[in-house]
Amino acid sequence: MTGTTLVGTGRLVRLILRRDRVRLPLWVAGLIGLMAVSASQVQALYDTPAKIIGYTSTMRDNPALVIFAGPGYGFDDPGVGVILVNETSLWMALGCALMSVFLVNRHTRAEEESERADLLRSTVVGRHATISAALIVALMANVVVTASTTVLTTAVGYGFAGSLALCGSFGMVGVAFAAVTAVAAQLASTGRAALGLGAALAGLAFIARGIGDISTSWLAWLSWSSPFGWAIGVRAFAGERWWAIALLAAFSLAVTAAAFELSVRRDLGSGMLTQRAGPARAPRWSTTPLGLAFRLQRGALLGWTVGVFVTAAVYGSVGNQIEQMLEDNPQLKDYFAALQGASITDVYLSTALRMMAMLVMGFSLSSVLRNRSEETAGYAESMLATATSRWWWVGSHLVVTVAGTVVVLAASGLGVGLGYALVIGDAAQVPRMLGASLALLPALLVVIGLAVLLFGWLPRATVAVWGALAAVVVIGIFGDVLRLPGWVRDLSPLQHVPALPARPWQTLPIAVLGAAAVVLTAAGLVGFRRRDLTGA
Amino acid sequence: MGADAAVRCEALIKTFGPTRALDGLDLDVRVGEVHGFLGPNGAGKTVTMRILLGLLRGDGGRATLLGGDPWADAVALHRRLAYVPGDTNLWPNLTGGEIIDLLGNLRGGLDETRRAELIDRFDLDPRKKARAYSKGNRQKVALVAALASRAELLILDEPTAGLDPLMEAVFQDCVADARAEGRTTLLSSHILAEVEKVCDRVTIIRKGRTVRSGSLEELRVLARTTISVQVAHDGMEIAGWPGVFDVRRDGVRVSFEVDQPALGAVVERLAALGIVALESHPPTLEELFLRQYDAELAEAGVHQ
Repeated sequence: MTGTTLVGTGRLVRLILRRDRVRLPLWVAGLIGLMAVSASQVQALYDTPAKIIGYTSTMRDNPALVIFAGPGYGFDDPGVGVILVNETSLWMALGCALMSVFLVNRHTRAEEESERADLLRSTVVGRHATISAALIVALMANVVVTASTTVLTTAVGYGFAGSLALCGSFGMVGVAFAAVTAVAAQLASTGRAALGLGAALAGLAFIARGIGDISTSWLAWLSWSSPFGWAIGVRAFAGERWWAIALLAAFSLAVTAAAFELSVRRDLGSGMLTQRAGPARAPRWSTTPLGLAFRLQRGALLGWTVGVFVTAAVYGSVGNQIEQMLEDNPQLKDYFAALQGASITDVYLSTALRMMAMLVMGFSLSSVLRNRSEETAGYAESMLATATSRWWWVGSHLVVTVAGTVVVLAASGLGVGLGYALVIGDAAQVPRMLGASLALLPALLVVIGLAVLLFGWLPRATVAVWGALAAVVVIGIFGDVLRLPGWVRDLSPLQHVPALPARPWQTLPIAVLGAAAVVLTAAGLVGFRRRDLTGA
Repeated sequence: MGADAAVRCEALIKTFGPTRALDGLDLDVRVGEVHGFLGPNGAGKTVTMRILLGLLRGDGGRATLLGGDPWADAVALHRRLAYVPGDTNLWPNLTGGEIIDLLGNLRGGLDETRRAELIDRFDLDPRKKARAYSKGNRQKVALVAALASRAELLILDEPTAGLDPLMEAVFQDCVADARAEGRTTLLSSHILAEVEKVCDRVTIIRKGRTVRSGSLEELRVLARTTISVQVAHDGMEIAGWPGVFDVRRDGVRVSFEVDQPALGAVVERLAALGIVALESHPPTLEELFLRQYDAELAEAGVHQ
C-alpha cells in the first residue's frame, strides 16, 4: 500500500526545506556550534590526567549532578571523552529532541489547521507523504548535526569511535522524538496540543532518566524506559555499546509505523479524540478581552503548571540525598565548601530553581507570543474592529502572561519546596523555596518585555525572542563549560538574580530588572499603538 | 460633507514598501444608504476598509468615519459599527454561539431577539466549534454577529463569499432590513447581481483609485444601451449614425450599442426606417464594470 501513499514526498521535503530555510539552519548550526565549542573548551580545560581525575572525583556519585549530567560511565578509568559526555550528552539530546518536536509538529498537525493542507492534499500527494516528508527532514537535520559534530569533535582531538557514539546517540534521540511527535500529531486535536504533548513527552523522558539513574531501588528501571537513558547507555568513550543506538533506531521505526497506522484512521484536521458540541452561549466573563485571553490560554497554563510542579517536585525530593552523599565523600564536601560557604543542599536547590525558571520562561514566551499569533491568524482584526482599544487587547494577553508566569513560577517553587520538605520533614522549606523561586520573576519579566518590544516595533521578528531563551539556557547551563566571558553571561537576566537560597537577598539587582521590564514593555506597547496590523 | 456622510475618503494613499495599494482613493458613503464597493482582486477594497477601521494607518489623504478620525477615535467609533472581514478567521476552539456573544459584547451589546432570529434565518448551529465549520458557516457566524448588533454602520468585506444562493438571498433580505431601519451599509463585493439588487449607489475602484462613483442610474447614463432591431430593409446604414457602435448583423436583425445621449435621436431615426421588431436592454452593472477594465481584459486575453 505504501506504493501510492508516499507519492509526492520528495516535493514536500523540498517545500519544507524551503519554508524552513532560516529556522532549521539556525537550529542545526546552533546545536553544532554548541557542541563544537564545548568539545574544544573541555579539551583545553582538562588537559592533564590530574585535572581529569579531579573532575571525576567531584562529579561521581553526586545525585544532584547525576540528575543534570548523567551517571558518569567510564569514571573508573577516565579520559577527557567521558567528561565531554557528562557535560554535553543529555543537553544535546534534549536540544535535538526539541528541534524535532517543533519541526515535525509544524509540518504535520499544526499545518493541518491552515487551509494550505487541504490544498496540498488535493494535489498529487499520497496519504502518508506529509508525515514522511516531515520525518525525512527531521532525520536529515539530526544526521547533519550528528555528522558535523562527529567530525568537529574528532578534529579537536577526541577518539573517532567515542565521538561517533556520543554524537550519534544524541542525534538518534532527536530522530526518536520526531517519530514520537508524529504520533502525538495524530492523537491531539490541535497543533498546539500536539506540540504540548510532544514536548511534554520529551520532558517526561528526560526526568525519568534522571530519577532512574539516581535510584538504587526499584525505580532504577526508569533509566531504560527513556530514549535519554538509552543515549547515555551507549557509553561513549567508555567501551561503546553500539546496540543502544540500534535500540533507539528500532524504537523510532516502531513509533513511525504507529504514526502511519494512526494517520489513516482519522480525518484531516481532526484528532483521534474528537470534539463534542459546545455551549450555544458564551458565559458573560469570557466575552471581555481579558476573559477571552484567559479562555484561550487556560489550557496551556494548566498544562505548564502541572508539568512544572511535577518536575520541580522531583528535583526537590532528591535534595536530602545530597546531604547523605556528603557524609560518604569528604572530597565532595571540600569542593562545595569552597562555594561561598553556602550549604551544598542550598547550592543544589538554587540550581534546581534556576533550571526550573528557564523552563517557566518557555511558558512565558509561548504565552506572550500569543498576541502575535492572534494577529497573524486574523483574530486580532476581528477584536480590534470592535470597541476594544489596542492597549486593552495587548494588555489583556499580557495580564494573562504575567499572572500565568507568576503561577507557573510559584508552582516550581512549591514543587521544589514540597518535594524537599517531604523528604526532610521540614514544612518551612515550602515558603522558603516559594520565595526563592518568585525572586526570579523580574528576570522573566525582562524577557517578556523584550518580546513585547519586538512585537511593537518589529512584529515579523517577534519569534526571534526564542533566541533570547536559547541564550539564557546556553549561558545558564553551558556558561562554565564554554568559559564564556563575564560580559556575555551578564546578558542573561537570570545571572543578576541572587542565587537564593544559597546566597543572600539583594534588592538592587531585582529592582533594576523590574524597572527594565517595565521600560521594555511600555516601549513595546507604544510601538504597537502606532503601527499597522500585519500578516505573517 | 457634513452630517449626511457616513464615510468619506479623500485622496487616500497607502503604500506597503514599494507597492502603492491606494493611490488617491475617494469614497463617499451617505447615511442610510447601501453602498457597493466594487473592484477586481487587489484593487484596494480591503485596504480601504482596514484604514476605515483604524487597523492600518493611511499615508496620505483624509478618511472620516461617522464624523470622526478612524485612527484616533477608533474605540468610540467602533461602538457604532460592525465589521465582517473578508477572511473570517474564528478562534477554532470557541463555538459559533460563543463567538457571536463575544463580538457582540465587545461592540457594546447584542439585540437578543435579532440574534435568535438571525441564527434561525441563516440556519446556523451555534453549538459547533469554529474549527468544524465550513467556510460558508464561518461567514454566517461573522454575519450574525454583525447584523445582530445595534450598530449604525455595517462594513462588510465580501460577505457572501462562500454562502450558497439560498443564504445569499437571506443576506440580501437582511441588508434591506438594515436599510429600512436607517442603518448605513458599505458592502464590498464582486458579485454584481447582488450589488445591483441591494445597493443604492456604488463606487468602482481600480488599482487604488476611484474610477466611477454614483447611483446605478447615474452610471447607466455613462454606459451604452444595447439594441437589437429588425427593420423593413437591410438596416446596415445604422453603422454610420453618430453615437452608434459595434453594429453586427444577427440573422434578420441588426444589433448595436448606443451612447446614452444619442439614444433619443437614434430611436427616432429607427422609427423612420420602419421597425418590425425591437428589443433593447439597459447596460447591466456587469457591462458597466467591465468597461472600466478594458485594459486589464485585453491583457488577460479576453475579447468582448
